Amino acid sequence: MLEYFSLGFQAVFFGPEAFSVLGIAISITVVMVLCGFLLGIAVGATPGLAGPVAMAISLPILISVFGYHESALLPVMGFLIGIMKGATVGGAVPAILFNTPGTPDAFMTTLDGYPMAQRGQAKKALRVAHFSSASGDTFSDIVLIICAPFLAVLVESYLDLPEKTALLILSLSFIAAVIGGSASKGLLSIGLGLLAAYVGTGEDFYPRLSMGSEELAQGFPIAAAVLGVLIIGAVFQGLEEIWWAKQKGQAYQPVPDQGDQKLRWADIRRLSPYIGRSAVVGTGIGALPGIGSTLAATLGYALGKARYLKRKQPGDPEFGSGVMQGVASTEAANSSVSGANLIPVLSLGIPGNAAAVFLILAAESIGGFNPGPAVFRATENAINPEMVIAFGLFTAMLFANLLNWTIGGLFMRSMGVMVRVPKHYLLPCVLLLTLTAIYVQETRMEAVWFALAFGLLGYFMRLLKISPLPFVIAFILGGNLESTARQAYSATGGDAFFLFSSWTAAIFMALAVLVVLYSASSNRKQRDSAVENT
Amino acid sequence: MTNRQRSNLVLGLLMLIGSMALLFIWIPLDVETGIIEKARRRTVIGDAFAPSIAGLFLLMGAIGLLLPERNVPDQPVILKKNLQFIASAIAIIGISLIVMRYLGPLAVGAYNQAHETTLEYRLLRDTFPWKYLGFLVGGTLLISGLIGLVYGRFSWKSLAIGIVAVLLMIAVYDLPFDDLLLPPNGDV
Repeated sequence: MLEYFSLGFQAVFFGPEAFSVLGIAISITVVMVLCGFLLGIAVGATPGLAGPVAMAISLPILISVFGYHESALLPVMGFLIGIMKGATVGGAVPAILFNTPGTPDAFMTTLDGYPMAQRGQAKKALRVAHFSSASGDTFSDIVLIICAPFLAVLVESYLDLPEKTALLILSLSFIAAVIGGSASKGLLSIGLGLLAAYVGTGEDFYPRLSMGSEELAQGFPIAAAVLGVLIIGAVFQGLEEIWWAKQKGQAYQPVPDQGDQKLRWADIRRLSPYIGRSAVVGTGIGALPGIGSTLAATLGYALGKARYLKRKQPGDPEFGSGVMQGVASTEAANSSVSGANLIPVLSLGIPGNAAAVFLILAAESIGGFNPGPAVFRATENAINPEMVIAFGLFTAMLFANLLNWTIGGLFMRSMGVMVRVPKHYLLPCVLLLTLTAIYVQETRMEAVWFALAFGLLGYFMRLLKISPLPFVIAFILGGNLESTARQAYSATGGDAFFLFSSWTAAIFMALAVLVVLYSASSNRKQRDSAVENT
Repeated sequence: MTNRQRSNLVLGLLMLIGSMALLFIWIPLDVETGIIEKARRRTVIGDAFAPSIAGLFLLMGAIGLLLPERNVPDQPVILKKNLQFIASAIAIIGISLIVMRYLGPLAVGAYNQAHETTLEYRLLRDTFPWKYLGFLVGGTLLISGLIGLVYGRFSWKSLAIGIVAVLLMIAVYDLPFDDLLLPPNGDV
């Protein structure tokens, strides 16, 4: 492992040179992580934009610049990792300064951050948010680096093809049950994603479910389906909100600074227990595919509130009225999700959030790296190039953390200006940018029409409170699920009950059913208690 | 039972019909191999297996909406206003994309008529100004049209924003790269 860590480090810092400063070569991956990180902060600080939008738009450009070669993997994925980390930090800026969360998971940050800003403590709130975010992110990355390889080795050692198929079904059920609050709607989202993945594919000469159409026979391009449902659907919804409210943008009325704006050592000592708890909660939640940072932020905030209330002295301000512990609890929790979210991606090949989806898209587009347990397979007398890339990604994440600790805070505090970009001008531009990004990848207008159709689907899914994320994850995992099932069936000699051929596979299948039933019954209990309360 | 409490029932029924149609009509008619197939004396999984799994997920979701989640409170509802907005947005985007697709070839046709030449758009699609014509006009129409939709009126400012945004996109996607084609130049 240590050897691979060293190789990954070398691949990042001593890879192809971008330029040199005073005779010291600066590698292209380092430059790309830096650019992605700065772009991510700017994007996160802009309401209406988010990390996935920036990833979607930049991916075709990056692939065009770096080409379809293994040497492109680290610069391209390093850039995407930079965006992922930067956007998480940047999301706190408009939440604190303008009560407008830049990213959905920054919503809880508004509860204490904005009142702090209103009291003239904006810079201090931003410093607290940055410190907590960077701490949570670093903790999460360390857990990722320790856990992902061992989990992958465990999966490779103990799980055979039937168990892997059952694990994929369990993951899909789990995602259906936990995302969005309705297990039934989650199942619908998964079903639609799988169905879309299977149109125009298959092993037979006739492309299945294509209805004789040449366009459908090629299948839906992954970029059209993913960007359509995730980005275009969100743009439609955002435009409609403005259309309804006829919002003309929020006027910024700066409040003059009051009191000490610096983050003192005493503050850090007071905040540390809140950050520590939230980092553990966020990392735990992030390691489970699909749950996401919004729940982490909510749980982190709730835990922080409970601790604060226990220790509150008479005269202390209320939690939620502008206390820095509230900002710290939320930001540490939502930032610690991002690193841990890569645990299921790298160890199981299962994406847990939108950012991970784009990392998989990049890996699939470029080739030479297939996220999953095989990445960490040690080979005797030979170097496993995929493991070098994986450790290169870990190094890129740690480097992004270093950037976060050093220049992140300063850059973040300068990004308040981004909130003045009016959303009603921004969203149509994002729509055209997304359609253009899809076209330059696919170079056929059908892909653009497909993306629009998937955008419509995403819009109606949002209207009906069906989360689009299970759709995207199912679309990406659909091919893998089918091929693993085919291999498992053949390997068990045509056993129709191959999913129950071992105890492990049977337990996974039982859990897949139980997790959906449990989620449905807990929703029912919540509903009954809501009805009783009214 | 109010409108607000019926959307799960309606969605569940639609999905039930959809999943049944998928499992019993679309898959049998439009997939060549079954769920299990005999191939070279071996039993293998056929092409109908995976879509059937998708159909089962849809069926389970539909049953869940029709039974345990049928009467949950705060069910979402699609209003006429939602449909009005999305239909207008799709109309603007559709017209813009059609303009984007056909303006270049039409302009070359008009040029040929005026100058009695026999130019072909296909041969000009990588040359200035032809390669930008459809993208510039269609893209500007899309951006300014959507801004106009949101505001309920056309403004010169939205037109200017559309033009500047499209020019920036050309600068990002086209100027630095020889191998990237802006829409619709890969099709024509």
